[in-house]
Amino acid sequence: MNSRILVVDDDTALAEMIGIVLRSEGFEPHFCADGSEALAAFHAAKPDLVLLDLMLPGMDGIEVCSRIREESGIPIIMLTAKSDTADVVKGLESGADDYVVKPFNPKELVARIRTRLRPTPETSSETLQVGDIVLDVAGHEVRRGDARINLTPLEFELLLALAVKPQQVFTREMLLEQVWGYHYKADTRLVNVHVQRLRAKVELDPDNPRIVMTVRGVGYRAGSPA
Amino acid sequence: MPGFSLRRALWRLVALWRGSLQLRTVAITVLLSAVGIGIIGSYMSLSVGNNLFDNRLQLAQDASERATVAAQKRFATVEGVVAPDLEVTMQDAYTAAAQAAATPSGTSIAILRTEGQSGPSSPTNRVTPGLDPDAVLSEDLRNDVASEGDVPQLHWQSVSLTTDGVTDPAIAYGSVLEVPGSGQYELYLVYNLADTQQILSFVQQSILLGGSALVLLIGAVTWIVVRLVVGPVRLAAETSEKLAAGDLEVRIPVRGADELATLARSFNGMASSLQHQITRLATLSNVQQRFVSDVSHELRTPLTTIRLAGDVLYDQRDSFPPTTARTAELLHSQVERFEVLLADLLEMSRYDAGAVDMDSEPTNLVRLAEVAIESVSSLAASTGTELRLVAPGGYFEADVDARRIRRILLNLLGNAIDHGESRPIVVYIDSDSDAVAIAVRDYGVGMTEASMARVFDRFWRADPSRQRTTGGTGLGLAISLEDAALHGGWLEVWSEPGEGSCFRLTIPRVRGAELRSSPLELPPVDPVPEREDS
Repeated sequence: MNSRILVVDDDTALAEMIGIVLRSEGFEPHFCADGSEALAAFHAAKPDLVLLDLMLPGMDGIEVCSRIREESGIPIIMLTAKSDTADVVKGLESGADDYVVKPFNPKELVARIRTRLRPTPETSSETLQVGDIVLDVAGHEVRRGDARINLTPLEFELLLALAVKPQQVFTREMLLEQVWGYHYKADTRLVNVHVQRLRAKVELDPDNPRIVMTVRGVGYRAGSPA
Repeated sequence: MPGFSLRRALWRLVALWRGSLQLRTVAITVLLSAVGIGIIGSYMSLSVGNNLFDNRLQLAQDASERATVAAQKRFATVEGVVAPDLEVTMQDAYTAAAQAAATPSGTSIAILRTEGQSGPSSPTNRVTPGLDPDAVLSEDLRNDVASEGDVPQLHWQSVSLTTDGVTDPAIAYGSVLEVPGSGQYELYLVYNLADTQQILSFVQQSILLGGSALVLLIGAVTWIVVRLVVGPVRLAAETSEKLAAGDLEVRIPVRGADELATLARSFNGMASSLQHQITRLATLSNVQQRFVSDVSHELRTPLTTIRLAGDVLYDQRDSFPPTTARTAELLHSQVERFEVLLADLLEMSRYDAGAVDMDSEPTNLVRLAEVAIESVSSLAASTGTELRLVAPGGYFEADVDARRIRRILLNLLGNAIDHGESRPIVVYIDSDSDAVAIAVRDYGVGMTEASMARVFDRFWRADPSRQRTTGGTGLGLAISLEDAALHGGWLEVWSEPGEGSCFRLTIPRVRGAELRSSPLELPPVDPVPEREDS
């Protein structure tokens, strides 16, 4: 079955062109040109991934992004015309998994989409322990005791990447390659923002992290099992 | 050191003196009025003293004359009488003189037989208890009195009386008494002037006190008056400092219609016009920034569509007739070029609008350089250029915006490959305690002096006829220069025609620190130095 992709963009020419590219790559595109209708379209199309323009009539792309995040963890990739720090960070903080800066080329876009839609990498063990929480790899679940912690697929993958090699310190570049599939481009803000979001969910005290530890000047590593 | 601290105190005093008009005015006024009041006070005190003394002298003279006459009269009635009676008469005369010359602060009397006379030395001398004639009466006075002729005459002298350790000024009057049958005696009347001295002291004290109070009053008045004038001036100075520091809202309160109010009004007028201008410029700058941002968005969306369309066509070019295929290729490459140009233009205009932020983090520059070299390796391979990295000293971290430094490096490497004539290109990295430096050295065509001076200009090209492999926009070095400046660093160039070029980037290790020197020579010393690992 083809993956369904919801393209939310007010520029019909661009949306149509993206549609052509997606179809040629075997995806099934759905379209929405207005921010205020985006949620309805999201419910109707039940997409596997959302491509979301940041500048939309009706409702701001960032607003749409956080509305979708409230009810679903599906991958969201922002299409942004601005590479300015503030906008990108705002989009990532509102829940977007990744972003593509206009003008992008089709290969770049498709590569980003495929990375987000790929299945979670295989691991040898069924469950992993980080700090006082347990990752159920097969069930895509994270638990602290009996309480289930809701993570988006990206957050789960980020935590999993750290948990699989608890002895390893991951630089931001390593995480960008492993989780986001970047080989050259190194916008480390992606890692920073998502680590913040992940910590907000899994840490008991996000200011004093025990699960995702910072290694100063290098990167991150998983906390030792408690 | 006391000498040193004394000098410092002196310096501070001088600085205070120079720094405060108020202090200076008050000090000069107080000093001058103190001198004036001092002169007037001294004159007053002197004239009052003289007056008092003359007065007392006159009184004393009158009293002495009376006393002399009274005492002499006693002896006139006892002519030709024997000694025992003379003693009584002498006592009588003494009492009469004491009565005639009595004063409130006391008069002492001495009746002494003139020395050097023949005959019996009776009656005996009479002296008021407490008076020591030898200590009080000088030799000169006694001689003057004793050597007097037939005409009775009064002699006087200022003396000092010491009673119970207290010395008082006094006047001594001397005259002659003729004692029948015995000879010449001298009558001395010593008038104590303690009460007069007391009055004089009191007057002097009053003058001193009044004068001091007057000086203080003048000082205070001057201080207030100067403050009235200096205060607004000082306020104006403080206000203009605040204005200069960027607080455009400050104004001087205007009171009344005098000169100071005029100053305040014109100052406020100046501040308002300044504020107006600055606000206008700030608005313009904001409009410019928003315009740039809007253009960015508006241009990029259609460009993205064109890009996607071009790429789709480009991917299928094999299935097109040759002319159409070539068209698709040209479209593809030129859209790419347009994109880079747009990005550079936007970056440049962001710098011009002052709307750039730095996203700095501790970065390993050697790793960054390795990645940059890696990413241009295919381009280098296409021209057969060898890329070398020389990084003695090992591991350096600096607080930089990695994206911008990478952009500078890629740009320098691209230029070096373009102009390097396929000869090796060496990237040097070194650091010291304050700074890190990266130099990109090529051994290609090099540049003339004139070219070097223009190399950072926008859209300037060293040789317009030269083939461009990297498809530079002409903005690369201009942006690199801005990127370096944003870090508080330097981007410098060395070049010789035929010898090649070297661009050296130096940035402070810590953000905001000032650069003094670069850890690398320009150009770095050849050949490649030995590694100094320990």
